Amino acid sequence: MDMIFNIVVFPGLLYVLLWTVALFWFFRKFMAALHKRVGPSFNGPAGSLQTLFDLSKLLTKESITPKGVNPYLFSIMPLLAATIAMLPTALIPWTPNLTVVSSQYALLGLVVLIGIEPFLLFLTGFGSDNKYSFLGGIRILTQMISMETSFFLAALSPALLFGTMNLNSIVEQSTWMSFWILFPGFLLYFVALLGLLEQPPFNIPDAEQEIVYGFYTEYSGTNYFLLKLAEFAEFMAVFAGAATLFLGGFRGLFFDNYFCLFIKMILIAIFMMTIRASTPRITMKQMLNFSWSYLVPLSLLNLAWIMLAKIFILGGVA
Amino acid sequence: MEGDEILMQNIKNILSSYETEYIEDYKTVWIKTKLLKSGDLLEVAKALKENGLRTISTVSATDFLEENKIEMNYFFEDLLTKRNCWLKCDIPREIELCVIDSITPLFVGASWHEREVFSMFGVKFTNHPDLRPIIVSQDFYGKTPFRKDFDWDAHEADIVTNMNTIVDSFANEELENDKKLDPHGSEMILNWGPTHPASGPIRLKVHCDGEEVLGIDPDIGFVWRALEHLVTKKDFIGAIVAVERLCFMDNINSMVGYCQAVEEIAGVEITEFAKYMRVVLGEVARLSSHMMGMAGVYNALGLHTVMMWNMDMREFFLDFLESYSGARIATAAIEPGGVRYSLEPKMLEELQKALDKFDATKEDIRSIFVKNPTMKLRGAKIGIISADEVLDYALCGVVARASGVKTDIRIDEPYGAYANITMDYITQESGSAQDRMIQIFAEMEQSVDIIKQAKKHIEAKVASAEFDLTKDHMVKVPKKLPKGEAISRVEWARGEVLMHLVTAEKATSPYRLKLKAPSFNHTMMLNHLLEGKTLSDIPLIFGSLYICQGDLDR
Repeated sequence: MDMIFNIVVFPGLLYVLLWTVALFWFFRKFMAALHKRVGPSFNGPAGSLQTLFDLSKLLTKESITPKGVNPYLFSIMPLLAATIAMLPTALIPWTPNLTVVSSQYALLGLVVLIGIEPFLLFLTGFGSDNKYSFLGGIRILTQMISMETSFFLAALSPALLFGTMNLNSIVEQSTWMSFWILFPGFLLYFVALLGLLEQPPFNIPDAEQEIVYGFYTEYSGTNYFLLKLAEFAEFMAVFAGAATLFLGGFRGLFFDNYFCLFIKMILIAIFMMTIRASTPRITMKQMLNFSWSYLVPLSLLNLAWIMLAKIFILGGVA
Repeated sequence: MEGDEILMQNIKNILSSYETEYIEDYKTVWIKTKLLKSGDLLEVAKALKENGLRTISTVSATDFLEENKIEMNYFFEDLLTKRNCWLKCDIPREIELCVIDSITPLFVGASWHEREVFSMFGVKFTNHPDLRPIIVSQDFYGKTPFRKDFDWDAHEADIVTNMNTIVDSFANEELENDKKLDPHGSEMILNWGPTHPASGPIRLKVHCDGEEVLGIDPDIGFVWRALEHLVTKKDFIGAIVAVERLCFMDNINSMVGYCQAVEEIAGVEITEFAKYMRVVLGEVARLSSHMMGMAGVYNALGLHTVMMWNMDMREFFLDFLESYSGARIATAAIEPGGVRYSLEPKMLEELQKALDKFDATKEDIRSIFVKNPTMKLRGAKIGIISADEVLDYALCGVVARASGVKTDIRIDEPYGAYANITMDYITQESGSAQDRMIQIFAEMEQSVDIIKQAKKHIEAKVASAEFDLTKDHMVKVPKKLPKGEAISRVEWARGEVLMHLVTAEKATSPYRLKLKAPSFNHTMMLNHLLEGKTLSDIPLIFGSLYICQGDLDR
């Protein structure tokens, strides 16, 4: 019974849907404030029902399958992408008592599930039989290879510090001291996260001014809805991962529960949106150069720093 | 001044060694001449080029049905020493004999202008490297839409055939592309537009190998409204609504250019108040265009914040235009004889609000967006246009000044009240995409400064009762104009707009109006700038050239 609740309600399907609707609305409203606009304002209080209507509209629209593509591949990829993007929620410790799958390899599972997502999106682009989608697919693959290296290295630094891959015990062991030791790792994780989630300045794979919407170009209706759902579920997994690994997860200053985790996730989202509102896109070459010349070496240095800190600040090998 | 006269005399000396009908001074910076033999054209052009007139502003044809001739007009310019030469020559009108030497081998900037004359008038240019039709759609190929005897009604009546022609030619083009490209290779031809998120109504045929651009062939004309033909169907006042649609973002200055030409033929001098109002309105329109133009550079990089912030300011300036003319965008506020409406003091209050808003916001925009480090990373080394290329391709306005060329019609050939305004050339050094964005912002500040000067002057003159706001704005221009022709140049938001107006005897509508607009030359540059670059550079360079399809296609 618990299991069914977990899958259908929290932290499963309904929760992801609610998160998608709410975060979408928040992004639009927050971006509007930065843009000196109003944002959605007609439906519901402060336009909060607008995204719900938008998504329900997408669900009821026809999904057009272009001529000449494999219809099964074309339609199954969004479904697969959405499903895989939702899986990491099972591994995150949402509250002190709620982790659906508590495993000593949880961290590994998290990074792998986050890591294969771009590959699925690449396949959507590949299966669209469209020049722009194809270019978008190639770009997403290039970006994935160069950004995930540092993403993994940064995500593994807490495991190295605490000597465990169990997310629950990482949260439990975190202290103010460990927060500062992991802070460089957090920054690296955040930069790699921008690349992984295709956010500015790394929104290269779906750069609409260059290659229309990249892998999204041919998708419409329900399939587009599923891809958007996958994107926002991916946001959740990555934000929750960052909050859990580096910011002490559900632990708060005064009490420990879900809202502490939620606030941390929203703070990361706000930071991401602010960068989005003030930074233009860079080119593929600049991204590759940045990733391999700076980000990856820094991630390796970060590992060295964690080891040194563990020995000299926290006092010895566990 | 003496040095200038010697330089002008040089041009006259060159021209006098050929057979000409006349050589005369025209306005302050022009020499007007007519060659008797069209065969001399190439030699004259070569001599002029050697004398420093390296830039060809435009090539324009006028069809004289009764005299059975086509008159070619060449406008040679020297952007550096401000000497210009207006060269005319006649060629026969019969389609087989309607041939003249192409000057494109000497002046690359003439290429598209000659193609345009070829498409519209059927004039063939010998030795033109790439004489394909431009602007017109495929159903006009081989026809001569701008000739006086072209039957538009007959053409429109056959609409199904016309559409099939267009559809078939696109299908053929696709087939030819398939033949040309290796099916197993990575080369492809991308249609960047006309329904692309960043293109606007233009189609760039991008031949690329993966991300690398091998060549670009712009296909323009998707918003061709045949404005030059349209004005000949309207009276002199009705024509302003066609002229202002050159591009609605800066509609005032294009109307100013047209009205000046009409006033010159009518021999009317407008009041000082109207001159100052043209400056104020023109600079407000320039600002509203520049705000979109600066945003365009950033939009090309996926950052829309600048556009929103600029729109926020722009609304205040549009409020002023609305209070003055009743319309925010297509104002139709300039008329031959002055400005259309009288001014009320509360309109100046609206203007003051807009100026205050700009002053309050500009430092934020400067610190976040003009000095943006990521923009520097993207734009500082890309899309570089050298000063030589500016002269060769006849670039103008923001693009020319960003490359360090000191050209600005407001100073070179002052019109309206600009002679009384204190202003200086604003230039950047390297001519990169980033420099053009910075240049647009710098010119916004300059415009605000000009508006403040003009506003102060108007207010002072109103206080001393020298301007009568209720009736000074217009002087009467006769409905019927004598036979004549005039050219008028204005510094439009995007650069030089040259209007060549021809009227017939007792005319109630223009006989021919040539609109030379800057985006045409700027788009001509695209292949040159983008060859060998990557797909990511297309929107940035395209956006930074400040192209508007309205004045590209006309």
